[in-house]
Formats: sequence, C-alpha cells, structure tokens
Amino acid sequence: MLEDKSNVKAWFYLGPALFLLSIFIFYPIFNALFLVFLRDYNYLQGTWEGFTLFENFFYVFRNQNFTQALTNTMIITFVSVPISVIIALLISVWLNSVLKLRGFFQTIFFLPYVTNAIAIGMAFAFLFNQNYGLINTMLGWVGLNPVNWVGLGATWGNAMFSLLIYVVWASLAFKIMVFLSGLQNIDKQYYDAARVDSTKRYRIFRRITVPLLSPMIFYITITSFIGAFKAYTQVIGMFGVRLGPPGNDKSLITIVALVYDALDRSGVPGALSEAAATAIVLFLITLVFTLINMQVSKNRVHYSGGGK
Amino acid sequence: MEIRLENLTKVFTNKKTTDTLAVNQLDVTIPSGKLIGLLGPSGCGKSTTLYMISGLLKPSQGSIFFGDDDVTTVPPEERGIGLVFQNYALYPHMTVSQNIMFPLENLKVPKEEALERAQKIADLVGIGELMSRKPAQLSGGQQQRVAIARALVKEPRVLLLDEPLSNLDARLRIQTREEIRRIQRETGITTIFVTHDQEEAMSISDEIILMDFGVKQQMGAPQNVYDEPENLFAAKFLGTPPINLFDGKITAKKIKLGTAVIGSTKAAPNDIVIGIRPEGFVVEEEGPIVADVEFVETIGRDTTLIMIDPTDATKRFRAIVDSDYRIEAGHQVQLSVKPHKMYIFDHETGERL
Amino acid sequence: MVLDSVVYGDEKQNRRKARIRFSLVLTMLIIFGLFVVIPFYWMMLTAFKTEAQVLTAPPILWLNPLNWQFSNFATAMDTAPFLRYMGNTVLVSSISTVGTIFTTVFAAFAFARLNFNGRDFLFMILISTMMIPGEIFVITNFLTVVELGWIQNQTYMNAILAMTLPFMTSIFYIFFLRQSFRQIPDELYYAAKVDGTTDLKYLFKIMVPIALPTIITITILNAMGTWNAYIWPRLVTQQQEFRLVSNGLRDAFSNIAGRILYNEQMAAALLVTFPLLVVFLLLKKYIIRGVSRSGIKG
Repeated sequence: MLEDKSNVKAWFYLGPALFLLSIFIFYPIFNALFLVFLRDYNYLQGTWEGFTLFENFFYVFRNQNFTQALTNTMIITFVSVPISVIIALLISVWLNSVLKLRGFFQTIFFLPYVTNAIAIGMAFAFLFNQNYGLINTMLGWVGLNPVNWVGLGATWGNAMFSLLIYVVWASLAFKIMVFLSGLQNIDKQYYDAARVDSTKRYRIFRRITVPLLSPMIFYITITSFIGAFKAYTQVIGMFGVRLGPPGNDKSLITIVALVYDALDRSGVPGALSEAAATAIVLFLITLVFTLINMQVSKNRVHYSGGGK
Repeated sequence: MEIRLENLTKVFTNKKTTDTLAVNQLDVTIPSGKLIGLLGPSGCGKSTTLYMISGLLKPSQGSIFFGDDDVTTVPPEERGIGLVFQNYALYPHMTVSQNIMFPLENLKVPKEEALERAQKIADLVGIGELMSRKPAQLSGGQQQRVAIARALVKEPRVLLLDEPLSNLDARLRIQTREEIRRIQRETGITTIFVTHDQEEAMSISDEIILMDFGVKQQMGAPQNVYDEPENLFAAKFLGTPPINLFDGKITAKKIKLGTAVIGSTKAAPNDIVIGIRPEGFVVEEEGPIVADVEFVETIGRDTTLIMIDPTDATKRFRAIVDSDYRIEAGHQVQLSVKPHKMYIFDHETGERL
Repeated sequence: MVLDSVVYGDEKQNRRKARIRFSLVLTMLIIFGLFVVIPFYWMMLTAFKTEAQVLTAPPILWLNPLNWQFSNFATAMDTAPFLRYMGNTVLVSSISTVGTIFTTVFAAFAFARLNFNGRDFLFMILISTMMIPGEIFVITNFLTVVELGWIQNQTYMNAILAMTLPFMTSIFYIFFLRQSFRQIPDELYYAAKVDGTTDLKYLFKIMVPIALPTIITITILNAMGTWNAYIWPRLVTQQQEFRLVSNGLRDAFSNIAGRILYNEQMAAALLVTFPLLVVFLLLKKYIIRGVSRSGIKG
C-alpha cells in the first residue's frame, strides 16, 4: 500500500547504480583523502613512509609549474566567464526579439555545443596561424601587421589571447540555450505592462529582463566558473600535449594539467599523493569561489516570476 | 456489494509536525447497489476514507468489509474496485482503447475478449467512437468518461470516484453527473463518490454521508439530511443560500430570538443557536420578528430580502419570499417562521435539540 | 496593436523605429553568427585545399567546389586509422549509454517513486558529490583499472571495459531523470496499483514511455560526451588502435616532426566533427530541450 516502505525493493532498483557509484565515485573520494596524507607513497610496491598532514600540499605549491598553472587558470576563468555570460545574454535577448530567421540563427549559435574540442581547437590554431591564418589576414585588411599568435616562439600573452577567444567561442552555445529558454518562459504580460508605462527598451532590459532571468544567470555563472577552473582539453586542442606554443612549452599549463602530469608519473613515489593534493586544491578553489558567488548573488537573484 | 466500515481510523504520522487524525472511528454501512456521496469540506477526511476503501491507504485502526469479506488487509488489486481520480490519471502515451484495456492486461484477459469488453464499456459511457484517440485529443468530459470506462471494464464490485467533476466547467458538470447517475443505474454497481460540492452530492446521490474533522456527521437521503439536520454542521453545510443562524435562548419552553418569541419547545432553558432556512420566513403583519430591510433582489418568482439581524446589528440574514410582496429597501418588515424550516441547536455542542 | 497606437501615437514613425531596431539587431546577430561559423568554415575550407593552396599567403577564402581536393580525407585516413577510432568510439559510446540508461532508469525510479528508509539522505549525498571535480575520481579510478588488470598487456576487451565501466552510471542523469519521473502525476501510479500492475511493469509500460524524451536526451548527451572524451581514454589505453577519435586526432598530428600538413589535419578534424553536426541537426529538438531543462532545474 501507499505508505509502506519498500526497502528491499528499493535497494534492488538502486543496486546497479549504487554498485558502480561506490566503486567509481565514493571510494575514489575517500581514497583521495587517504592518499593525500601518505608520505612518499610508492604505488608499485604499496608502501609508504608514514603519514603527513601538509607535505603533499607543499609538493603541489613547490611544483615549478604551479604558479603558472594557477595564473593561467585564474585568467581563463575570470576573463572568459564574464565575457561569455554577457555576450550570451545579449545574443539571447537579440534572438528572442527577432521573429524572422530566429530558427536559423538559433541553429547557428547552438552549433558549437556539439563539436569536438580537439577538432575545433586545431581549427582555431590554424585560424591564428601567422602566415596562412584568417586572423592575420583580417588584421592586414585594416592595415595591421601580422602577429605570431600560436607559432614557434609566440609570447605567452599572444597565445593566451588566442586561447581565450577559443574558450569564449566554445562556451557560448550552452549559455545561449539556457538563457533563451529562460527568456521564453518570462510572461509576456510584464513586457506589455512596461510598454503601457512607456518604459525605454534599455530600462526594460535592466529592470525586467535581467531580474527575471537572474536565477538562470546565477546558475550559469556558477557552473561556468566551476567548468572554467577545470580548463584543460581546450589547451590540448589548440596546443597539443606540450600545452603551449612551440618553443614556449607548458606556458599555458592549467591546474587540471598538473593533476594529469602527476598521474603520468604514477610510478614515482609520492606522485599519486601529489595528484590527489592538486585535485583537492582545485576543489577547494572551486568551492571558495562558488560560495563567494552565492553570497554575492544572494540578494540579487529573484526566484519568483522568471522561468519555472 | 454492501460495504461496511467499522471503527475506521486513520492517523497520519509525520516526523516534523504532530500527527494528524484524518479519519476518526468511522462506522458506516453502505447499502448494496446505491450511489453514495461522501460529502464534506476540504480536509474533512473524505478522500482518505475513499483511499482506505480502495486499499491504497492502510487504516490505522478498524476494519473494512465488502459484503462478508474482511478486506482490511487485502491489497487494492485484489479488492475488485474501480477507482476514478480527480485528474482522471489517464496514461498520456496510450490511446483510449489501450487505456481501457490496461487493467485487463494485468488480469491476463485474452486480447480478443479484452477488445470486446473495452468496446462494450466504451459504448456504455458514450465514447465508443473515440477509441483510437490519445487523451490529449479529448475534452475534459470525454477524458472523464474514459477514466470511468477504465474503472468499470474489469467489472469491479465497487466503483470509487474521487471528486470526479471538479475539473469540468459548470455546464459539463451537470451533464456528466447525470451521466454518472445513468451509468450507475445501468450497471448497478455500488458507487461511492467524494465531493465537496453539496449541490452535486444532493442531486445524484441515493444517500449522502456528511463528514467533518474525520467524523461522520450525518448519513441519509439528501432531502432527509436537508430537512432534518442532526447538528449545526449539517444544517450549515447543506443549502444554498446557506441557513441563517441567530443566537437565541429558551426560556420557559419558549424559543426566543432577541425579544421575539418564534416557537415553543420541550427542551430545558438554555443558550441556543437558531437556524432558519431562507425559505422558512413568511412576511406577515403580525409576525414576531421585526427587521430592517437593507436590500431587495427580485429574480423571477422569488424575492430575496437581505435584512439586519435584530439581535446583532453587525450581522445580516436572508429570506426568500414570494415576489407578490412589494417590499422596498429601507423599510421594516414583520416576519414569522415556518416551524419545519427552523432548527434549534445546543450553543455548546451544536447538537440539534 | 491597439496598445501600440495608444502609447506611441504616430504609427509611421513607430514603424520606422522598429525597422531600424530590427536592422541593428540583425547586424549584431550576423556579426556574432560569423564569429561562431568561421572556425567551421575555416576547417572545411582548409580540408579541401591542396597543400599549395594552404601555403598561399594571403590565404584563399573561397574555393570552387569543382576544385575541392577530396584526396585529403584519404591521406588523413592513411595517417591514422580514423575509421577504427570511430568504430571504437561508437562501440564505447553504445555500451556506456546502454549501461547508463539501465542503471539510471532504475535508480531514478527508486528515488522518484519508492518509499524507503534513508531515501532523502542518500539523494542528498549523491547531489553533493556533483560539486566535486572529476579529477579527484580519476586518480583512484585509474588505479582501480590497473588493479583489475585491464592495463597491463591490454586486450581490446580490457580497453573497452576500462573506457566504459566507470561511465555506466551518472548522478547527474539520475537526478535529471528523477525530475522527469516526478512530473508524472501520482494518480497514474495509484490507478496502476488498483489494477494490479507491478512496479516493474509500471516503470516500463508507463513511466519510461512518458519520460522517453528525457531518455533520448540522455542518450544523445552521453554519446556526445564519449565522442568528446579525451583524457580518460588516453590514460587507460595502451595501444594506439584502442583509442577514441579525440585521441587519434590529437596524436596523429602531434607526432609528426617538422611541418604540419594543415589540409590533412583539417580533413581529419572535419571527419570527426561532421557526424556530430549531423546528429545535432537531426536531433536538435531533444538536445536543446535537455540542455535548457537541466539548466533551469540546476
């Protein structure tokens, strides 16, 4: 009957999922927390030299690439997220305001959502090619000299700029989809009311659209921050496993790249603990920024009215 | 199939808040082959009672008998019931005929026979031509009929309907309730339906069971309950416009409304509540009640007077009188009371005296 | 319409304003649309160029279809076994998708429909792990796969297992599907119970068909995820020919010393991108629906 507990049955239904989750999600979490406190853990022999609280974290911070990785990750995050959120918001509002051609443009703007990060990364690398790329050609049209964006010996700044363009490009589609569906859920009556009061377009955007869309803006911002902190495949896509333009290897290394770097050295004592420590540092950074984000948006998100 | 509820009680336990007593020691015998309206305000325990009869909810105490069978612990599918939900609960991805045949599938009825039975029952409820449609392509009234057909197709011993008309518009509601009445007559299945709409219950039920706060207030033929309410709740709940209530007194076997003596009784001297149906007043020159008329509404045959309560100037009461009387707002009238349209209740307990 | 004339009065001026606004919006959409489309165009254009055309400066921006050099695709496939990689990817994505659907449908049913001790607590734990970055799992999962003996002297079977088993369930999809299941009115379940339907039958006859769009969305998103997977397959495959498209693509054009043959590289990239674009155009409705839904619900 309705209120009867069906414990046995429930565990039968949950069984397959819980079995896999235990092995591949829950156990790894505890194991990472275990690894991170082992001193010189030798994975191949299964031995370690006692426990340590911070040593593995020191390894992370003392890694010669850590500062570079942290800087790159922060730049990718704090430049690409705000820019892409704003562009996506504008594009969705524009898309929502045209009736003709909306379907056509929608398809175009959603396209990057389904592409392969490596393939497109390669296309971007060639777009930024110094001699044969489209970007420098376009610069030439307005009388500017070609720039060595991603070629041999390209500077960190040029390479980072190209990477950011790619990251923004790749992250637009998802945001536009979410914003557009949010916009379509806003009751038309709000706009009719605003028009009766002869509100200016810009004010309608500021005072009606943005507040009503704020739950989605908030959600997108949080998930984009979390996603951007994990940037890695985009770098691989554009620059390959050397993580930077030729001659400037690892200049675009990110925190996630450090995790896999350590994992690649898994045979070396302590490397796995370092990987775990790096991943935990990444998690803590993500957590702190998510909490800050939530705090900042606390009073600015309006949960009634916008969306469902 | 006679249905007997004995001492039926349902307590909802909840970790966070206190327990709720939804149904309290209900004793009811529902005669076989009748259409019974389970009536009461929302939250009175009527739906809980229906769900216990269906077997979807387990009683905390008490027993349920179908005929001589104690079905208290029998699971819903073995009780032989058909249940129709307020929102019809049609399976949206199935056609009408698939919906109707679904219960038969569980009973392992052969396909041919199932089809035949589904068609027969669909014809009975008047949706025989809609068998290949999906629920979304039907009107509310048609969906309701599909739901009834699905409940009836397995030839249940009891048909249960939970607020079957509340999702329909006013016109359809009247039409559909006649339809339910007809189907019940033709099939002769003992039918219980839950409603909060007294007019609905009174218009089609053989008997109504009036509930409040999980307690049975009164059971009987609709007109009997209306004419002879056993307590203040029954008097208040039935009737549109609602009954007029006045604070009164019994002194020396006289019923007094303020200073006016409007009847006599054998009851002991007491504070009472006097209930008078709007149609229970007669305008008479010698009438004991003197009241100021505030509004007059004449609709066709009837005139409704809205007057100031002579015992409490903040209250109003309503009388429906013949439109032969020409009465204007602002005047005073004198009224007497038809004795059989007046009830007196204990001020404390609400019991009829 | 009535509103317009009351508020703005002059209809002619009003219409002109609207036209100007429309042209402005259209211009912006075209500019950003070009920004989105150009990388695709550049990829396609380059994929059909001869080597001499690729190495022309300034670059050729339009190529007559009659002069397209299709042999680039053949050369690309000689460089690396892309058909093989695609086959691997399709296999891995089918297995992991079937597995995911199987486990998530059952788990989502339990969370949405059944009443059991600790349900809310367990669900909360699952949800809270969604915040943890995947890298934390990857470390141990890699060790687990090694322990299972799927890395040393790897067979094809081992490689497929290593690439699929960890991805045969997903907390996010359980959550997503549970949302979908919960939108099905309770009364449907009660009605089925009264008719003696078992839970299993109810799940497959009623809930799954009703939630089918969500299940299709999950299938697509999961398959696309595999098509994009780069890190894990690289970590757990020991032989080139076991890898997936992303790895194949990256490796094939990283190992060549000296000059990169851009036309072949872009031809390979196009080979990898093209199936995704086709899937997207065919199943746009489900993808958009899934993404925007998950976006709103968080």
